[in-house]
Amino acid sequence: MQVKLFDRFNLVVFISAFGLITFGLVAIYSATYGNELVSGNFTKQLISACIGIFVVLGIMFTPSKYLAMSSYIFYGLVILMLIAVLVIGKKIKGQTSWFSVGGFGIQPSEFAKVAVVLALASFLSNKNNETDVTRVRDFLYAVGICLMPVALIMLQPDMGTTLVFLFLLLPVLYWAGMPNYILFFIVAPVITAVCAFLGTWYFVASVIFVIAMMLVLKKNILISAIIVCIAIGAGLSVNMVYNKLQPYQQKRIQSMFNPESDPLGAGYNVIQSKIAIGSGGFTGKGFLQGTQTQLKYIPEQWTDFIFCMVGEEFGFIGSISVVLLFLILIWQTIRIAYICKNQFLSICCIGFATIFSFHILINLGMIMGIMPVIGIPLPFMSYGVSFLLSNLIMLGIILNAYRNRKEYT
Amino acid sequence: MDLSKRKNFYYIFSLAIVLIISGRLVQLQLINPEKFDKDALRNSVKTIITSPARGLIYDRNGTLLVDNKPSYSVTIVKKEFDTNNIPVVCTMLGIEPDYLRDELKKIKGTNRFLPTRIQRDVDFKVISFIEENREILSGVDYTVDPIRLYPTDFRASHIIGYTKEISESMLNKQQGDYYKQGDLIGTTGLESGYENYLRGEKGFEFILQDNKGREVGPLNDGKNDVKALSGYDLILSIDANVQKYAEKLLEGRTGGIVAMDPTNGEIICMVSKPDYDLNYFSGKLKPEIWTMLNTDKNKPLFNRATMTKYPPGSTYKMVSALASLQEGILKPNSTIPCEGSFRFGDRVFGDHGAYGSITIPTAIEHSSNVFFYKLVLRIGLDNWNKYGQILGFGNKTGIDIPEETKGLLPSTEYYNKRYGPNGWTEGFVVSLGIGQGELGVSPLQMAVYTSILANSGTFLQPHLVRSLKNPLTGEITPIQFKRHEVPINKEYFKTIQKGMYLVVNGNGTARSIRTSDITIAGKTGTAQNPHGQDHSWFIAYAPADDPKIAICVMVENAGFGATVAAPIAQRIILRYLLGLQDESEVQDSFGER
Repeated sequence: MQVKLFDRFNLVVFISAFGLITFGLVAIYSATYGNELVSGNFTKQLISACIGIFVVLGIMFTPSKYLAMSSYIFYGLVILMLIAVLVIGKKIKGQTSWFSVGGFGIQPSEFAKVAVVLALASFLSNKNNETDVTRVRDFLYAVGICLMPVALIMLQPDMGTTLVFLFLLLPVLYWAGMPNYILFFIVAPVITAVCAFLGTWYFVASVIFVIAMMLVLKKNILISAIIVCIAIGAGLSVNMVYNKLQPYQQKRIQSMFNPESDPLGAGYNVIQSKIAIGSGGFTGKGFLQGTQTQLKYIPEQWTDFIFCMVGEEFGFIGSISVVLLFLILIWQTIRIAYICKNQFLSICCIGFATIFSFHILINLGMIMGIMPVIGIPLPFMSYGVSFLLSNLIMLGIILNAYRNRKEYT
Repeated sequence: MDLSKRKNFYYIFSLAIVLIISGRLVQLQLINPEKFDKDALRNSVKTIITSPARGLIYDRNGTLLVDNKPSYSVTIVKKEFDTNNIPVVCTMLGIEPDYLRDELKKIKGTNRFLPTRIQRDVDFKVISFIEENREILSGVDYTVDPIRLYPTDFRASHIIGYTKEISESMLNKQQGDYYKQGDLIGTTGLESGYENYLRGEKGFEFILQDNKGREVGPLNDGKNDVKALSGYDLILSIDANVQKYAEKLLEGRTGGIVAMDPTNGEIICMVSKPDYDLNYFSGKLKPEIWTMLNTDKNKPLFNRATMTKYPPGSTYKMVSALASLQEGILKPNSTIPCEGSFRFGDRVFGDHGAYGSITIPTAIEHSSNVFFYKLVLRIGLDNWNKYGQILGFGNKTGIDIPEETKGLLPSTEYYNKRYGPNGWTEGFVVSLGIGQGELGVSPLQMAVYTSILANSGTFLQPHLVRSLKNPLTGEITPIQFKRHEVPINKEYFKTIQKGMYLVVNGNGTARSIRTSDITIAGKTGTAQNPHGQDHSWFIAYAPADDPKIAICVMVENAGFGATVAAPIAQRIILRYLLGLQDESEVQDSFGER
């Protein structure tokens, strides 16, 4: 009986996710401690997490064919919500990403992340194998599924969230069978463009890398040449575009890559968060003892900057535990994607693993000053009911995939 | 599809991400924790914003017109400020508690962690009070701000303009996030037109302080600090001596003067009276003074040299003359009979006299009305409008200060819109022929027009600034302004110039200002004013054979152009070209009305 239960229920995924949620709750408690304006945030998050357990179990036990069937409906619903938010949403700090229903704030862009993965998985896992990502039409369909919410979220405007969608597309398509050279065809110009922005030598190195990769991939000379030319073109045009920007736009890009160049704007939070994390040392200062965080030098530290609390109050031990929990969760999700015979669920898992990876890279990287300042939250830990709920829906689908891993569609 | 190979990609990628993050954690928390620990134990990094000095302003001869002097501003860091101290701070600064609460309420976002200016230009007493009570007044501090100092004894208020604290709506509208609450921004005149050059760049100093607010030392040995950069200095085309003289000549009157160089568009002097004392705006602007300036019925803040829209009267007759020549309606030697009055429909338009059949120069010399009534009807409204535009009317001239009117240059379209297609007659056009009616021009537009007449057809964008000076390197960069040839045959200007020469040197309307020193060419004008006495216009350039100055003088409610505006123009021309005229003489002839 015991064996049977764990054959159907992936305890490792469940425990690592709820371990992260617990860490998050402790950190939110500390971050909002003594701040009467936001002291309700801890309770809200706690209740959401408790209700969330039932959401997770509910999704886990749903027959997988219903999940696949409802994915387009969910996608359509999210698109409608994204349109609605632009019309009736509340404008907070220049962004219209919220609307409220019966006292609850809903942020549709968070659910859009799940919806896009579901819709892509549904489209790409077509039963009769009529979908083929090497065909231009099907490739464009997949891109379209991804870009529709991107366009709506850009209008809010929320650039951080749109990046999630753009980074999610390639890993999902690759898992669904996109050939290596097409992947490279898309990735190469991005690499050269970023390198060109960093400096001439980076650009030269990246071009050599692209050429070397073409030799490894052994495609015919024409395709190789086209790919190399486009990559070089992208690299050369990036500086031209940059020089055409207004000075204040250039400054914003600079301060994104080098926050310390703008110590009173984007750089302010990063300077403070680095001090907070660094001052945690090996063991941390103890629960509620963080001087940086308790003195509220970091604005809204319960959302995007939640990791500062962990870093300062629980030190390296606490921080590395969080990072390891993420690694376990992501690796398990990739493993489930691999062993799951249902292609729809398998693609979903890869999509979610990508979302988690991208979020921790950008969020933790930004907080520690090695990534551009892009505001996206930390999965399972940042305060936000919509965000937590969307994470738990993903968790439910991952568990569902594990439960149904042996059945074909 | 071979997923067993592909899954390794995903494993490796996610591992790489985790390794990058873990590596950074090791670096921050294990390898180098002392540095951060010290910073964090000291609790806070205080940020001081150092204000750059605004660029200085010099005249064409290098005379310093606008300087800076230091002053103290009181700042509050909202995050650290104890609201129980509101009464103390208010007593200290002499402000209302409600005002302070409002100001504090406006501080949002990360600005809560930064000092925000609450009061500018405070006494030194206030500074010592803050120093003595630092432990109680947490979050209250002061900073040194350069404020404007005007070392010369003339005003040039409308040229230089003033700075004010940035308004909330401007803060929200700004591109980027340079300006913060309490910052000064150029609001009018050159201070506004050249704001981006004058303002410089703010500097930042990061200072560690302990939990009692005492400074411990610079963060990171001051390596993160950014030095404030002073703004660019402006070198004007204004001649300070001529400007001062022109201001005196117009003292006690209401009107505007613009004089420019017809060879390059540089403005030599620009006066608008009544004006105001720029010192009001240096330091903190007292609300009662702001109210006084805004409610004064003489509108001292209004730039009459660039913003008024009065009919130009007879000074506009040269537009019709040029239009008729270029359109082939008249030849330079054609004549029109002038009987002393003109009947159009059932209306009779009068004139100063009967001149017989006269040519264009004679018509200008005597300012014959009948000549131009007849002429404008032959030209037609559309062509009349077209040549007005060619000569710079109905559009902004592009001067380098923001205050400027387009004026009003009526067209068929304008009348149709205003009166309906059948609601107006050609009779409307008759008045336009002599520069009356619904025609509005500014002295600046008239000066630009005069310089086109003087230089035989080159439109020059008028400007006050010659060049920018980099305060660090001393490098001087001239500014390029636009110029273009107007589509009128150069030969035709000779006819006009002959007429304007005769106005002063023949038997014309301004013969009273003829001098043996300099040959002046000009034209008088009187603008009918339905609200009171007529406005007096005079435009002129000199020397007539090689013009170096083109000038327009407009004096409100002063009657005939020849009696008030023309002598003022003559004095300025002589002063500029010969450097003559002593100041006591000005007092004698123009001190009283």
